[in-house]
Amino acid sequence: MAQIEFHHVSKRFENGQEALADLTAEFAEGSMTFLTGHSGAGKSTFLKLLLCLDLPTRGQILVNGINVTQMSAARLASYRQHLGAVFQDHHLLGHRSVYDNVALPLRISGMREKEIARRVRAALSRVSLLEKERQFPRYLSTGEQQRVGIARAVVTRPKILLADEPTGNLDPELSRDIMKLFEQFNQVGTTVIVASHDRDLIESMGRRIIELDKGAIVRDGLNFREQTEVQTDSV
Amino acid sequence: MSDAPSGLRRKQRDPWPPLRPGIGAWWRDHLRIARETMHFVSARLGTSLVVWLLVGIALALPSGLLLLQVNLAKLTAGWEGRPGLTLYFELSASAEQVAAAAKVLEADEAVEHVVITSREQALEEFRAYTNLTDALDLLSDNPLPASLNAALRTGLDETALAGLVALAESRPGIKEVVLEKTWLERVNDISRVVSRLGIILGVLFGIGAVLVTATSVRLAIEARLDELRVQKLVGASDRQIRRPFLYFGAFYGIGGGLVAAMLLSLCLVVIEAPLTALLGSYGQQLDTAGFNPVFLVALLLVGAFLGVMGSLVAAAQRLRDLEIL
Repeated sequence: MAQIEFHHVSKRFENGQEALADLTAEFAEGSMTFLTGHSGAGKSTFLKLLLCLDLPTRGQILVNGINVTQMSAARLASYRQHLGAVFQDHHLLGHRSVYDNVALPLRISGMREKEIARRVRAALSRVSLLEKERQFPRYLSTGEQQRVGIARAVVTRPKILLADEPTGNLDPELSRDIMKLFEQFNQVGTTVIVASHDRDLIESMGRRIIELDKGAIVRDGLNFREQTEVQTDSV
Repeated sequence: MSDAPSGLRRKQRDPWPPLRPGIGAWWRDHLRIARETMHFVSARLGTSLVVWLLVGIALALPSGLLLLQVNLAKLTAGWEGRPGLTLYFELSASAEQVAAAAKVLEADEAVEHVVITSREQALEEFRAYTNLTDALDLLSDNPLPASLNAALRTGLDETALAGLVALAESRPGIKEVVLEKTWLERVNDISRVVSRLGIILGVLFGIGAVLVTATSVRLAIEARLDELRVQKLVGASDRQIRRPFLYFGAFYGIGGGLVAAMLLSLCLVVIEAPLTALLGSYGQQLDTAGFNPVFLVALLLVGAFLGVMGSLVAAAQRLRDLEIL
C-alpha cells in the first residue's frame, strides 16, 4: 500500500492559474522521489498541498490512508509534527541560535529539555554543525543555513521528509552533499520527496524522478533517458 | 474483540499521534511561552511601558471612583443623625395655629419630637448670632416668621417623608415646608452619583484598555510573523500559535494594573493633607477604606482579564487575516 496518494488532484488559484491539473501519483513508504520541472510546473504547489499549507481545488490527498485535506486544525498540527520540511530560503529564525532553531519543533511538541538537547545535538551532528550550535543563522554560509534547516526537519524523526529546491542557492559540490544527506535519511526508512530543477544532480542520484509540466505529470521513471511517457491516470 | 493493548490499538488507528501528549507537555509549553513572552516584553521595554501606562490610566480612573464611593459609603455608615422637617408660618399665623400644627405632627409616629420657635424667639436668636441689632431696631415690625422643627425617626422611606410633608402643608398658616437633609445625606446622594459614574467610566475605560492591548498585540503579531509561519510549519496547533499573545495581553493587563495601583497611591498621597482637614471639620478621621491587598489583587486580575480580552480580539482577527490560523 502506498504511503502517499494523490488522486486526481487539481489546484487552481484565484487568478485562474492552474498549478496542478488532475494529478494522480503514489509514493511508497520508505521511497525517495525527485519532483522536477520548469519554474511554475507545480512542484512547490505539490509539496504545499502535502503539507496542508493550502487546499486542493479538487481531488484527494491520502497519507497513510487518511484524507489530509479534511482534517481538523488540531489533527493537522499533529500531522505536521510527523513531517519534515526543508525550503530553499531555509525559513530559519534570525534572532534564535542554531540550537534554538533546531529545537523549535521539539519544544512545540512539549518535549523535556534534556531529551531536546540530546535530539538536537544528534541532528546537528548528522549535518556536521554541532560546533556551531550557539551561532546565529545570519553568521552561517548558505550551505550551513540549509543544513540547519535540514537538521530542524529531521529532529522529530519524521516519517516523511519534503524538500523544496533545497540546493537552489548552493554550488554543485554542496548540492551533492545535501542530496547525500537526504539519501541517508531515506536509508533509515524515511519517505523523501525532493523538488528540484537541477536535472543533472537528481539524475545522478539514480532514484525515481517525476517530471511536471503545467501541473501534470509528463514523465515518471528512474532517469530521464529511461523514463516512460505517463498516461493521464497512470502512476 | 482485539487482544491488543489500548495504546497499540490507538497507534494503529492514528498514524500521527502527538509527539509528547499529556499534561506535562501542556505545562512545559505554557512555561516556555511565558518565558518567551517576558523576554519579548522586556526586549521592547519602551513600547511596553507606554502600553502599561495607557492601560494603567484606563484602570486608575474607574478604580479611583470605586475607592471614593467605598469611602463615602463607609463615612456615612455609622451616622446616627436623622432628617428634619421645618415648617415656616405666615407672618400672620396665630400662635394657636402654630400650636395646632405642632400637635398634629407630634401625633404622627414618624416624628420624634417637635420644637416651636416663635417669632419673638426667632428675632432673639437672630440678634444673638448677628451684628445687625441696630438695623433690626430701625424696623417697625418683626420680619421673622414663627417656625416649627420636627425631628424625625430614622429609617423613613421616601413615601413616608412625602406623606409627612403633605400633612404639614395641609395645615393653615403654613408658608413653606422644608425637608432638611443633613450633609451626610447629601454625601449619600453624591456617593450614588459617583457609583454610577464609576460604572459608566469603568465600561468606557475598560473598552479603552481592551483596544490598547489589542493594538499592541497586533503589533506583536506583525513583529513575529516569520516565527509564526515557521511554528505552523513544524506542527504548532492554533492554540499554541495564539497562546503567546494571550500571555502578552495578560502581562500588559497586569502591568497596567500595577501602574493603576501606583497612580492611585500617588493620588492618595497628594490629597491626604487637604482630605484629612476636610474630614476633620466634620469630626471624621481619614481612613482610606478599600485600598487594601484584596483591592490590589482585584485590580491586577481585572487588568489581566481586559488584557486577555484584547489579545483574543486581536489574535483572532489578525492571525486569520494573515492566514496563520
